[in-house]
Amino acid sequence: MRTHTNDRLKGTLDLLVLKTLASQGRMHGYAITLRIEQISENVLRLEEGSLYPALHRMTQAGWLSSEWGASDSNRRARYYSITAAGRRQLSEETKEWSQLTGAVARVLSMT
Amino acid sequence: MSWLNRFSNLFRRDKVDEELDEELQYHLEARTRHNLNGGMDADAAQQDARRRFGNAALAKERAHEMNIVLWMETIGRDVRYALRSLRKSPGFTAVAMLTLALGFGANTAVFTVVNGVLLRPLPFPEPGRLLLISYQSKQGTIENEPGLYDKDYLEYQRQSEAFDKIATFNEDSANLTGSGEAARVPTALVTSSFFSVLQVNPAVGRTFLPEEERPGKNRVAVLSDKMWRSRFDADPNILGKGITLDGASYNVIGVMPANFAYPHEAALWLPLNVGGDPHNTFTRAVIGRLRPSASQQQAQAELAAIAKHLPPGPGAGRGSMVAEVLPMRDLQVGKIRKALLIFMGAVGFVLLIACANVANLLLMRGTSRQREIAVRNALGASRWRVIRQLLTESTLLSLGGSVLGIVLAIAGVPILLALAPAAGVPRLEEIHVDGYVLAFALALGVLVGVLFGLVPALRATGHRVRAFLGLGGPTATAGRQRLPSALVVSEIAMALVLLTGAGLMIKSFILIRAVDPGFRTENILAMTVDLPDASYPTATAIQAFHAGILAKLSNLPGVVAAGAVNWMPLQPALVQGDFNMDGGRKRPRGFIVAKPAASPDYFRVMGIRFLKGRGFTEQDNSSAPGVIIVSQSVARTLWPGEDPIGKRITMEDEPKPKDWLAVVGVVDDVRQQSLTEQPLPAIYQPYEQVTRPFFLSHMSFVIRTAEKPQSVAAAMRGALHSVDANQPVLIAPLTDLADATNAETWFQTRLISTFSILALFLSAIGIYGVLAYAVTERTREIGIRMALGAKKSDVTFMLLKRTLLLVMAGVAIGGSGALVLTRVLGKFLFEVKPTDPATFLSVAAVLGFTGMIAGLLPAQRATRVDPVAALRSE
Repeated sequence: MRTHTNDRLKGTLDLLVLKTLASQGRMHGYAITLRIEQISENVLRLEEGSLYPALHRMTQAGWLSSEWGASDSNRRARYYSITAAGRRQLSEETKEWSQLTGAVARVLSMT
Repeated sequence: MSWLNRFSNLFRRDKVDEELDEELQYHLEARTRHNLNGGMDADAAQQDARRRFGNAALAKERAHEMNIVLWMETIGRDVRYALRSLRKSPGFTAVAMLTLALGFGANTAVFTVVNGVLLRPLPFPEPGRLLLISYQSKQGTIENEPGLYDKDYLEYQRQSEAFDKIATFNEDSANLTGSGEAARVPTALVTSSFFSVLQVNPAVGRTFLPEEERPGKNRVAVLSDKMWRSRFDADPNILGKGITLDGASYNVIGVMPANFAYPHEAALWLPLNVGGDPHNTFTRAVIGRLRPSASQQQAQAELAAIAKHLPPGPGAGRGSMVAEVLPMRDLQVGKIRKALLIFMGAVGFVLLIACANVANLLLMRGTSRQREIAVRNALGASRWRVIRQLLTESTLLSLGGSVLGIVLAIAGVPILLALAPAAGVPRLEEIHVDGYVLAFALALGVLVGVLFGLVPALRATGHRVRAFLGLGGPTATAGRQRLPSALVVSEIAMALVLLTGAGLMIKSFILIRAVDPGFRTENILAMTVDLPDASYPTATAIQAFHAGILAKLSNLPGVVAAGAVNWMPLQPALVQGDFNMDGGRKRPRGFIVAKPAASPDYFRVMGIRFLKGRGFTEQDNSSAPGVIIVSQSVARTLWPGEDPIGKRITMEDEPKPKDWLAVVGVVDDVRQQSLTEQPLPAIYQPYEQVTRPFFLSHMSFVIRTAEKPQSVAAAMRGALHSVDANQPVLIAPLTDLADATNAETWFQTRLISTFSILALFLSAIGIYGVLAYAVTERTREIGIRMALGAKKSDVTFMLLKRTLLLVMAGVAIGGSGALVLTRVLGKFLFEVKPTDPATFLSVAAVLGFTGMIAGLLPAQRATRVDPVAALRSE
């Protein structure tokens, strides 16, 4: 199976990040990358640089909050966590996503 | 990130960059380390990290854009939401915006004038290096414009090192005849250095040469562009042509560029021959251009040093002389600056009152919006997010008010200037709403919106839990009323300060109207004629002209009596001077007198009272012995306790026998310069015995009329033109001249009164608003009280007591503030102390009364509360 490219992922990147942070709590950018790869069993591989504009965008939108903290290797890293608005966004996007996938699945199962 | 933070990010991209770099760097390093741990070698680990990361620069750029684009987007969203929310409560929006518009309008209008008069640089190259030089007496009744006596000017010109060049000039006027109807045109007499000090070049031709200052060569003139166009049809061959001024022919040698009309509205410039007249107080404005190496302080020190060796002018000891180097702008704005700053302060108060009202409105709106705010909180909006939203709203409101205010100012500035006394505002034509004014109004709008929105926003967002739980009902809490009360008290205090100022001005204006100037102004028509030296070179010729006019005037139908005087009261022209006393007596130090030359009937026309002796008669002519009439103060000062009649003085330093003048009469003192200035001591001479043309060529004819004076004006003009058709006609009733000297006080009084009525009105609205809101909040409490048997009057009393407390607190604070602040009015008040108790008391009464009325309306409404409905509404 090919790994999906960024373009295909663009709409879902927010959803993935929100979901990751919702379940894992505070994380820095690299940890988010790893987590998404790990959970999706390396199917969803990000072009890692593209994660950061998304993180900043979502921070501005008020879905995420960020702060600087010390990483496990004792370096300074920016940590992100999800806000109440972010959780609300997540639930909406999750709903939309399942509606979409549900619809697509129904179409595909039509034979 | 807060709004402010994000805004500053726009300008601090470096800091954001650094943080972003650090974040991305961390990612790369973490991936590399991960790869190393997975067994890759160092190079491959780094390459893999970079490959996986993709385009780092692009990522960074995008992250950046997100910051800015989203910032703009959030503002857009906030603004849209705010507009929607303001539209939903049109009443609130309209009241708040109009209140602010009044405050902003008044401020913008006054700032427009301040900007045009005080802030805008003079239209000359390097205006900062242009300074006024002044050395003259600051005591006495006349407050002179900065300037130097001619002899001091010459001395200073010789000695000064700090200035490149200095020049002196004075405004004048001349009769322009030929090329159309005779007209009195404003002129300026200037030294040849004048134009080079200002660094202004003529558009056509040249300006004066130093030798053209001297008599014989000085019949040359430079025209203003306006004059050249209006009077000479922009004649391209104007240079070398002759024009007739005061009967003498002048050659036009140049035309100035279109925007140049300094000083004031000069239509043409003539060369000035600086000479000395040691007997009379006469100073001229002196300007200088500093050398690039010199500073204003150096110039000041130099002037002070030179001044030590200059002899003082007439009527002043050296101790009373003040040497000053001032910015050139002060020549025109010296008088108006203080008035403008006071107006600025007054409108500032009006704005603060308007802001306090709007802050109160916002507080109340915040309370009634607690549910909405709680819902937004519950949906995940942070407190700061909501505060930002509320601030957006208040800023939009305030900006709306400021835009309306700009419209008001555009309409109001011409009205303001039309009311202003014409001579009082320099550079009138340059006063209009420009970019600076717009920037001022909009900046003020944003500032007010944020400052006065902040506390209401903090308040509104502070109650979320309670409100969300449904606990925040309309229950009265004293704490929540404290801030609105404080705002209302400060409004009342500020209104009181303004009203006190207005009260003092009004009182002083009434007192001015009641002044006895020593003469009567009703039914007198005055006509002033300046005879040109060229057509009337000798005293005999001038006196023949005067006699001709006087004879014609006395015989006009409707004329009771006709007289003439050279320095008429309430006119700007006046010469004061010294004299010598008979019998070796010394003239008191510093005692100088006005020296009017008058015709026999002058005293009768003006209604100046005789206290002793006789008036002048036709027999007091040039061949008769010299006589004088002295004013009461002269008699009292020179011959205390003696009979002044028969005493002798002379105007000459080395008098011949015929130069001795005997006192034949004593008259009442006359307020010469204006109604508000103390009378000047005066020594009158019969105009036929005055022999120097300088004292005669400027003459005012006054006639006492039986009917309305204007009805004789046409006949008066006819009389003048039948004697000399080349004289421009300047006729005015004396009442108009008296009003003109009051014009400035009248203008200031009206302006301050308008602002304080605005303040009173706004604070009444403020009191009403807070009380009305309190009644709404306390409906339940009032209902309970009434259910428990409180009478309607008890409820009214309870609420009025609160109003009374607010008003009393405001009056007490405002009163103490006024005691300090009304001192700035001192200079503008006439015979009223800035602490006048009667004014303070009546103003406090007016404010108290207005406050109680404003509080009575809501109190009345409270009594109509139905106890049952009030209790059920919970």
